[in-house]
Amino acid sequence: MTLLSVENLTLEFDTDEGRITAVDDVSFEIAPGEVMGIVGESGSGKSVTAKSLMKLNPGNSVYSQRSRITLMLEDGPVDVLSLKSARELQVVRGGAISMIFQEPMASFAPAITIGDQMVEQLQLHRKMTKKAARDLSVEMLERVGISEAGKRFDQYAFELSGGMRQRAMIAMALSTSPKLLIADEPTTALDVTIQAQVIDLMKDLVAEYGMGIVFITHDLGVIAQTADHVAVMYLGRMVEHGPVRDVINHPAHPYTRGLLAALPDLEHLDAPLTPVPGDIPSPLERPSGCVFHTRCPIAKRGRCDVEVPAMTALEATIASNHSAACLALNDPHWMG
Amino acid sequence: MLQFARFAATRAAMAVFTLLLVSLIVFTLMELVPGDCAERYLAFKNTQGQSITVEDIEAERIRLGLDRPFLERWTSWLGNVFLHGDFGQSCILRMDINNLLGDKFLISLGICLAALVFAYLIAIPVGIIAATSKSPLLNNVLRFVSYLGLAMPNFLLALIIILISTVMFGDTLTGLFSKEYRDAPWSFDKLMDFLSRAWLPVLILGWSATAFALQTVRALMSDEIGKLYVTAAEARGISGARLLWRYPARHALGPIFNSLGFDLNRIFNELPIVALIMTLTEAGALLIEALARSNDQQLAGAIIFLLTASIVAVNFLTDVLLALVDPRIRKGILG
Repeated sequence: MTLLSVENLTLEFDTDEGRITAVDDVSFEIAPGEVMGIVGESGSGKSVTAKSLMKLNPGNSVYSQRSRITLMLEDGPVDVLSLKSARELQVVRGGAISMIFQEPMASFAPAITIGDQMVEQLQLHRKMTKKAARDLSVEMLERVGISEAGKRFDQYAFELSGGMRQRAMIAMALSTSPKLLIADEPTTALDVTIQAQVIDLMKDLVAEYGMGIVFITHDLGVIAQTADHVAVMYLGRMVEHGPVRDVINHPAHPYTRGLLAALPDLEHLDAPLTPVPGDIPSPLERPSGCVFHTRCPIAKRGRCDVEVPAMTALEATIASNHSAACLALNDPHWMG
Repeated sequence: MLQFARFAATRAAMAVFTLLLVSLIVFTLMELVPGDCAERYLAFKNTQGQSITVEDIEAERIRLGLDRPFLERWTSWLGNVFLHGDFGQSCILRMDINNLLGDKFLISLGICLAALVFAYLIAIPVGIIAATSKSPLLNNVLRFVSYLGLAMPNFLLALIIILISTVMFGDTLTGLFSKEYRDAPWSFDKLMDFLSRAWLPVLILGWSATAFALQTVRALMSDEIGKLYVTAAEARGISGARLLWRYPARHALGPIFNSLGFDLNRIFNELPIVALIMTLTEAGALLIEALARSNDQQLAGAIIFLLTASIVAVNFLTDVLLALVDPRIRKGILG
């Protein structure tokens, strides 16, 4: 069973400098109760991909004809990209999908109480009375572990600590019982100790509510703890996709291997870190062929800068649905 | 509530302190002008054909109390102003400054405040629309009009309007009162007459103020709209006018409030020139007269002090109002 399916998502931004490709032919599926991690450097298109699920990208976004985002709801499938009016979009925005952002402080309106913002959303989506919306909001705040929830309800974001704000944000996101939660780097702005609490909380809630989660981060460590499946993105393309343990233990794409090598190894702290060489190219100068070839240690001239590799299932792990987009895959003679 | 009263009281005390400081500066400036009031008055008499001796000047000095030390004279001036609202006598005209000013200052201030209100009544909605609209045509037109407003001096606009009205309607539209009301006591008819004429200086002063305010509102709104909490609210399904007014517009109000005092000052500074061209003898002209022509420091000091007091009062009011509207400030006060 699928909750969300994204097919051939291609998104360009119409700018003064011309069309900039932000997401290039990305496809994936999420089942209810599944946590799907999207990893990549900044500029890899992971946030843009996530925002597409609610059509939240700015007005200059152009989706390609072939792009399809389908959300399976009880009343039948919803073609997200065909939603136009604000009323239609409410089905995904705050209705079936909720989103939490990287900066919990900045994602609450500073001069409106947390409670007002929660009640506003509940009244909009669930046609509740103010009283019922208030009761549910306080209950949700308690559920995410906020002490004195009744008091916090009437407070403003600046009066809460960082961890508590993100808990409140999670409470608000879940109060409408969405089918899918998008978490855009939800722990990046938090202290490490708080990060673990927030991640545990999110895992508990997924299990309890049975919803799908799209978890965006640049931190492979966080993904390893959280996600069931992971997609690695680079310059708007998905380069590797598979069960999180498979991908981390047997990375198939040179970029994924690079990301993993760049993580500090706690057992060999003296060993030098190996960063992925070079910088992420400007979106205005998108490399031809495989987008990663400019930084790839095993790229072959005349092949990688010409051919666009397709996502191919890995022969060794075909059962677990692990695939990557690299010409060197399944080619025993590449290195020779 | 108690804390809020304390906050208001603290702000009021700060405002009074500012005024004291201003009065000291104004009084010192009045003293810095070469020659004192006795010399200047008698020199003026001298030009009228009277012969004046050094003894006359000395006697006049003692009569005016100018022989007393600086601090004593400042505190007594201050006491008169603060306790009795009495600005003393004009140096040259030998008349009570209060009588001289009469309702002129209030009329001037009223025109400036009206121009300020006019400016923001237009700037707030138009600025918000400009910040949210993606139409390049609308934005370019607004940009052109507001740069025109910023670049074209008020007096030029005043001259153009006078020229057009004289040619087209045979009426110069100058002055603040019709002849029959000029020296009449205030009545309903006089007020109506005043209003039927005051709109033009308000419009002219408001014109460049609007252009300026429009740019401010637009910049503040664009800034707010780009913030994450607006995207977050959008992601919760909030849209249209509700999203706009409840989220970015409301949060942009604070800095707009804060700029009001500054704008009032700017408008008041432009008033004398517009008043000169439109022959509004009741407004602004007196300041030029006092400063430039007769070198009447006492009168100029009184006007500058009144203006500063008005600006301090506006700032005080906006501070208190902002504290009521913005919880970040309110909670900061309530602790």
